[in-house]
Amino acid sequence: MASINLHGNSYEVDEDGFLQEPDKWTEDVAKAMAEMEGITDLNETHWKVMNYLRDYFKQNGIAPMVRKLTKDTGVNLKEMYELFPQGPANSACKWAGLPKPTGCV
Amino acid sequence: MENQKSYPYYIEKPLEYRRVEGFLAAFEEVLKNSNYRSILDLYSRISMHCSRCATECQIYQSTGRPEDVPCYRSAILIRIYKRHFTPLGRLKGRLFGSLSATEADIDQMLESFYHCTACGRCTMYCPMGIDHRLLTRLGRFILSKIGIVPKALAVSVREQLEGETGNTSAVPLKGLKTTIEFLEEEILEIKGVEVRFPVDFEGAEYVFFPPVSDFLMEADTLMGIACVLHEAGVSWTIASGNYDAINYGLFYSDEVLEKVLQKMAQEVRRIKGKKILIGECGHASRSAKVFLPSFNESEEIPVVNILELTAQLIKDGKIEIDENAITEKVTYHDPCNISRSGWIVDQPRDIIKNFIKDFVEMTPSGRYNLCCGGGGGTVSINELKPYRMNTGGKRKAEQLKATGADVVIAPCANCKKQIGELIAHYKLPMRHVGLHDLLFTAIKMKKQVVSNE
Repeated sequence: MASINLHGNSYEVDEDGFLQEPDKWTEDVAKAMAEMEGITDLNETHWKVMNYLRDYFKQNGIAPMVRKLTKDTGVNLKEMYELFPQGPANSACKWAGLPKPTGCV
Repeated sequence: MENQKSYPYYIEKPLEYRRVEGFLAAFEEVLKNSNYRSILDLYSRISMHCSRCATECQIYQSTGRPEDVPCYRSAILIRIYKRHFTPLGRLKGRLFGSLSATEADIDQMLESFYHCTACGRCTMYCPMGIDHRLLTRLGRFILSKIGIVPKALAVSVREQLEGETGNTSAVPLKGLKTTIEFLEEEILEIKGVEVRFPVDFEGAEYVFFPPVSDFLMEADTLMGIACVLHEAGVSWTIASGNYDAINYGLFYSDEVLEKVLQKMAQEVRRIKGKKILIGECGHASRSAKVFLPSFNESEEIPVVNILELTAQLIKDGKIEIDENAITEKVTYHDPCNISRSGWIVDQPRDIIKNFIKDFVEMTPSGRYNLCCGGGGGTVSINELKPYRMNTGGKRKAEQLKATGADVVIAPCANCKKQIGELIAHYKLPMRHVGLHDLLFTAIKMKKQVVSNE
């Protein structure tokens, strides 16, 4: 199992870099994951999307539909890919500490 | 040397030692509990060397590796069967000591059987009628018994069969209900009509099983389906105990295949439904249609794919479509699992001709269509993405480009994902949709009364 190290703390991640223990998520973890994908500056919109995902997941136990995510955050899919290089599932959800989507997703 | 095996995909607990012995024991167990022996005996007696399939396999056409020729791959399994499980083979093995299964065979099979996208196209051209797709599944089945199965498939199946949510994308009932509410609001906003996604409506004619991933990815497909069923007054429902048609058993395990189908049939019985309605999904449709009768002999639950039903509803004049709603140039991708047998080839075209004027066929198409390049479960295995893009997917991308279409319809969750990724990877100037996505745009809604209530 791989891990990322941050300020002396170690966080377990799976092969695709998804956090294995969601309770351990902090904003610094998100920043570190973003940096690994080449995004060094997380702006307000990044946080808006990630906070939305975290809240939605807490309430529903699953990520929202892509269509709902874009509608509720006001960030369209093209902008989403500019903000999160690998898209809503593989970057946004990952940085926000959500589990890796499985099945035909 | 044996400690650190490398695998082309992630594996949870592979057997690292004595893999050959393990494989042979698993093979024996499978033979004992199945009817594969008769097929293997037949294939043992016919030639596996003509290589006609090589001219048609899009994987081999891309890689040029002999290991990717369908009959080359199948012949490994047949050779092991002959050597270890037939009297003559055993005798020859003792006398000449050759042809026994080796570690190298295992390595080759675990790679080659997952290079194959199980599209079944080679069988269309095989003069001997060898079903290589079946042998791919059998090979993967035996490998899975010694722990060699892609983690992505194993994890999804575990959640579906043993997990709390009971489906491959781990969508809990609460999440499903929120999603359904959202979709109903969207339909109201866009079409101006109240349309419901009924849940646990007892005695419905159709119990609807989409690939559960649609509840995350394919809002338009689901809304289109709900509008069609609503408009035609069809009695249908989603079942709260199981709303996932995905069946990865079709790709690597007969045991999983059976368990997923039993679970589906059980849920239909619970809510006293009459038929199973599968959404836009190729492998889920084929696994239910073809294998439910094998595993569920006591009663007959008809299996219907949504494209069949919608085509019939249109033919019966039950829904009205705006002929001018779609102006773009459109092409249609035949998902292997529903088209190869000829089952669903005409129905989508019957639907299309009602409202898409600028339609162009791919070459080849229908039963002979090329695979999207992500079949056989490979689309769900993230680490195989470079492979999917550059081998089978490459041929598909060329084929898509040649149509000059603005829109490609791919009525299958698996194909949608792969084709979407191909479009991005090759920067193709087109978008991909489900057939019901377009119907959602084009359908004329009139009834204001909610059906089923």
